[in-house]
Amino acid sequence: MFKNEEMEINLGPQHPSTHGVLRVKLRLDGETVTHCTPVIGYLHRGVEKICENKTYFQGQVWTDRMDYVASISNNLGWAEGVEKLFGIEVPRRAKYIRTMLTEQNRLASHLLWLATHALDIGAMTVFLYAFREREYLLDLFEAFCGARLTTTAFRIGGLREDLPPGFIKKAQAFQDLFLDCVDEYETLLTENRIWKKRTIGVAKLNAEDCIALGVTGPVLRAAGVPYDIRKAFPNAAYAEMDFEIPTRTEADTYARYLVRLAEMRQSHRIIQQCIDGLPEGPVMAKIPKILKSEVNEVYHPIEAPKGELGYYFVGEKGGLNPYRMHVRAPSFVNLQALPKMIEGRLLADVIAAIGTLDVVLGEIDR
Amino acid sequence: MSEPNTPDTPQENAVTPEVPSGPYVYDYAASPQRQIVMPKTVPLPSLKTYQAEVVAAAAADEAKWQKQLADFEVAKAKAEAEGKDAPKLPVRAVPRKDDNDMKTPWPVEAKDADLLKLQELLGDKVEEIFEQAGELVCQVKKEAILDALKVCRDDVSLKYEMLADQSATHYPAAKDFAFSVVYHLTSISRCKRLRLRILIPEGFSPESACSEYPSANWMEREIYDMLGIRFLNHPDMTRILCPEDWEGYPLRKEYPTVGWGQRDIDFREDRGGVLNRLAMEKAGQMGINLKQPKAD
Repeated sequence: MFKNEEMEINLGPQHPSTHGVLRVKLRLDGETVTHCTPVIGYLHRGVEKICENKTYFQGQVWTDRMDYVASISNNLGWAEGVEKLFGIEVPRRAKYIRTMLTEQNRLASHLLWLATHALDIGAMTVFLYAFREREYLLDLFEAFCGARLTTTAFRIGGLREDLPPGFIKKAQAFQDLFLDCVDEYETLLTENRIWKKRTIGVAKLNAEDCIALGVTGPVLRAAGVPYDIRKAFPNAAYAEMDFEIPTRTEADTYARYLVRLAEMRQSHRIIQQCIDGLPEGPVMAKIPKILKSEVNEVYHPIEAPKGELGYYFVGEKGGLNPYRMHVRAPSFVNLQALPKMIEGRLLADVIAAIGTLDVVLGEIDR
Repeated sequence: MSEPNTPDTPQENAVTPEVPSGPYVYDYAASPQRQIVMPKTVPLPSLKTYQAEVVAAAAADEAKWQKQLADFEVAKAKAEAEGKDAPKLPVRAVPRKDDNDMKTPWPVEAKDADLLKLQELLGDKVEEIFEQAGELVCQVKKEAILDALKVCRDDVSLKYEMLADQSATHYPAAKDFAFSVVYHLTSISRCKRLRLRILIPEGFSPESACSEYPSANWMEREIYDMLGIRFLNHPDMTRILCPEDWEGYPLRKEYPTVGWGQRDIDFREDRGGVLNRLAMEKAGQMGINLKQPKAD
């Protein structure tokens, strides 16, 4: 009467908890996942091809559209990668402002992660709290560059404009209230029995697997590896900043949650140092209006909220646009680990695993 | 695709209007945006090429200077013979300096201990080894890439644990190769980065790095999808971003930037014209003359 056979189901691509257009083909034995295949590419726009046909200045606009919740990090990677290609030295004030905005963007990205991850698992309230603070940050970005999400915040060689008047005051006001907000999220989740049941021991990925699969960012740090590009290969003004790399050893969803919350506190610390130590001076390097590259190739990694974001450029002699541009998107590589995390686990854990990887499909499909 | 409807009755035949010649161009060759400009140079960073270029540039500069001097002597003799004033001494051109905050990173000799170690371990499998923009580059023979990856991962003094990125570039203008495949390795314990590079001809299948670095799985699928390089011994060599039945490899240089079957309208020109006209009208209504004064 009852046949014992595996069932194949499709999760997504139009599913609210797959964070975009991710499709996961699952083979189920009852409620246990026996096989998992992520299917991606639904949002493929050919950003790399487009950027090969745009100048170095125009291409940055496309980086906003990749990881659209952390666009300033993407802008930073692009700008610094191109500066490395040309050998441009950026003024110190520009570096500080870049660092500050990138960290604020990291907060915004982590807040969106927290909101949607908790929503996926069933904690509705956190969403409202996290988005309240995220709004404040997006308003700050709007004050700085006129856009909330598609920022194109930086220019090659520095910044287009200095900070607008009153920006520091607003940023400081955010600083004053934010740590209490993080405590507030913690009161909602950290000791929450349902949250702990849904996250502790779920979607484990140990350090060896992380490194073998190229997984970076909070997922790697929650497995006990203190690898953070801001410390290992300092870019922008991170070498001058005093902060810690939060790590956990449990390597499960709960540990990643704690790591990200601790990271928010560290980002808060970095922003405070940027505000306090903001040097005076120009914000734009003296560079020609038209940049023509020499034959060169660079790979520039930065620590995006999701992990290692790398830009690979090949420049040709006298070229106005990159001969080849490649993005090492953190979510793309991290998503490879999804089958490893959920095979043999329950179907409900798939949602938690997708949430804890913090994938953004705009970046995976590019 | 579908054939045009043939009118059944003579009445309809009588009122069939002529096909309007609209702005839509379906002709592949006639479309201005479909004209693909293939690269003529091979921008492959390399110390050997750079050194050869520097020597050649110096020789060309010297030859030019000698010619200038010779021309000067001739002109001087001619002026003396004709009794005119002597011509001005030629001035040797100074090479253009970098701009204030720009310092172009040129390739330099490998000095880093990792590169020297790699050279020692791999021996004649190494084709080229240099540093540029603070990055370590090692180009190995295309058959030896798996050995090189093994050495990088397993040697105690190298210990590159993670394959951070893998990517490839198409060089249609090159003669003896068509693609370069680059492997960006990261040593988490030693905070080091290294780029391995191989040059492969069209149709060559390099060994997959999956056995050494499982993270290469999707990256190699992406390379196959975008550039059509097939990797040997890869667990699942299928397309990843494009649909399975997609034709062509988008990141090759001969691939057009306008999609297949897309209408070839030059939006930029059209839109610019409309916007410009609207702006003129609006300004005219406000009593502002935006038109440029005609040259006398």
